[in-house]
Amino acid sequence: MSNQKQQKRRFMGELPPMRTLPCIEFSGNREVVIEGSRGVLEYSTDCIRVNTDGMVLSLNGRGLNLRCISDSSLIIEGFITNVEFIV
Amino acid sequence: MLLKILRYLRGYVRFTVVGRFPERFLNIALHNRLRIWDVERSSGTLSACMYMRDYRSVRHYARKAGVRLRLTEKKGLPRLLSRYSDRSGLIFGAAAFVITIFVMSLFVWSIDVTGLSTISESELRQMLKENGVYVGAFLPAIDDSTVSRSVMLSDPRVGWMAVNVTGSYISVEIKEESPSPEVEDLSKPCNVKARRDGRIIRVEAQQGRCDLKEGSGVVEGQVIVSGVLEDQLGGLRLVHAKASVIAETTYHADFTIPKTMTVYHPTGEVKDRLSADLFGLDLPLTIGGVHTVDHLSDEIVESPAPLDVTLPISLNTRRVYALEELEKSLDYNSAKELLLKESRLYELFTLAPCTVLKRDYDFTATDDGFKLSVDYTCSEDIAVQDGIGTQ
Repeated sequence: MSNQKQQKRRFMGELPPMRTLPCIEFSGNREVVIEGSRGVLEYSTDCIRVNTDGMVLSLNGRGLNLRCISDSSLIIEGFITNVEFIV
Repeated sequence: MLLKILRYLRGYVRFTVVGRFPERFLNIALHNRLRIWDVERSSGTLSACMYMRDYRSVRHYARKAGVRLRLTEKKGLPRLLSRYSDRSGLIFGAAAFVITIFVMSLFVWSIDVTGLSTISESELRQMLKENGVYVGAFLPAIDDSTVSRSVMLSDPRVGWMAVNVTGSYISVEIKEESPSPEVEDLSKPCNVKARRDGRIIRVEAQQGRCDLKEGSGVVEGQVIVSGVLEDQLGGLRLVHAKASVIAETTYHADFTIPKTMTVYHPTGEVKDRLSADLFGLDLPLTIGGVHTVDHLSDEIVESPAPLDVTLPISLNTRRVYALEELEKSLDYNSAKELLLKESRLYELFTLAPCTVLKRDYDFTATDDGFKLSVDYTCSEDIAVQDGIGTQ
């Protein structure tokens, strides 16, 4: 990609291509929607660790719950106190 | 909400995963495109929900993940149906209820008519019936605009009409045609003549010339008020004569009755005949009747109307009174009373436009029966307009 195009993208506020990166959306500290997960590594009411491509997302908190889960996305709800990216 | 309904219709199970790595089971199941939701973790076990159909094939993955599954709850419509599968009557009853409601909604339940003043309701209902609108009629076959147009064309008294179909209820709104007033042609010359013989009491001539005086006798067809006026120069002028001529007239009426007459008398035998009316279909509920050929009956219709909605179901009770023929011989007084009643009816209907001033009764007994001759002296308007012209 040329330097000019990169500058233009930065100007327009666009994000770099996220073909392999997970998309994580927080609603305060009560709900997280993760798209692009590869599986749940650990699940308890205090800690949920989710495998994403290239890193592990670790969420700590209280009363954590997997409200909805599919092969590539999941919704976690509860009181989240700590988010950690383990690369 | 929609998702919950879909899950309920498909049927799902709640199960618990017992083992060292329940997360591994989740990952394997999800990678195999199985849908899992409401995943909850509590005291070393993991519980989740899954479609009933998927659960049958999930044992293999559990073995692979080294966990054991335990079914805790079955939910959804398939579960409900399987629970009541041995109670087929319940399912058939529910299905029959739904079908009955659907079928009954295809028919007219009640018809309400508003806006009638001179046309009777039964007359209008008969017209509607002729056009296919009646209780029990098939609703999809009713075209409201065609019905209203047809009724308006068939009866000129109906000025405007609307047939409103609301579910199984039809309301008919009607506006009757106001009759156009009779316009008198004042340019047409005419005389006022006597309609019948009489003695003039009073003449109120609005236009024309009257040569007769109060107390004069007139015969039928005689000119009372002339429409031909003569001016001071001797010329003639034709006008539209108009007058009210109150005259004393006489009427004669004879009433007879035989000495013996046949009357119907109740025997005392009374029978109630019940019938149910369902969508216009009369279903008899009792059989039998009175033992005589002649009878008199009255009918009581009881129709349920919850919340002011008339249902197409009614219970009709017809009370039948048995009658027998009796030969009754009349005496002088009873015959006189009957004939006087008859004469009063004659006055009421035949002499309605007149004011009866005097009645002269002559009651006689003949060989065959009794006779009442009445001479009425009345006062009435005998004026009638007759055009002046060449024939």
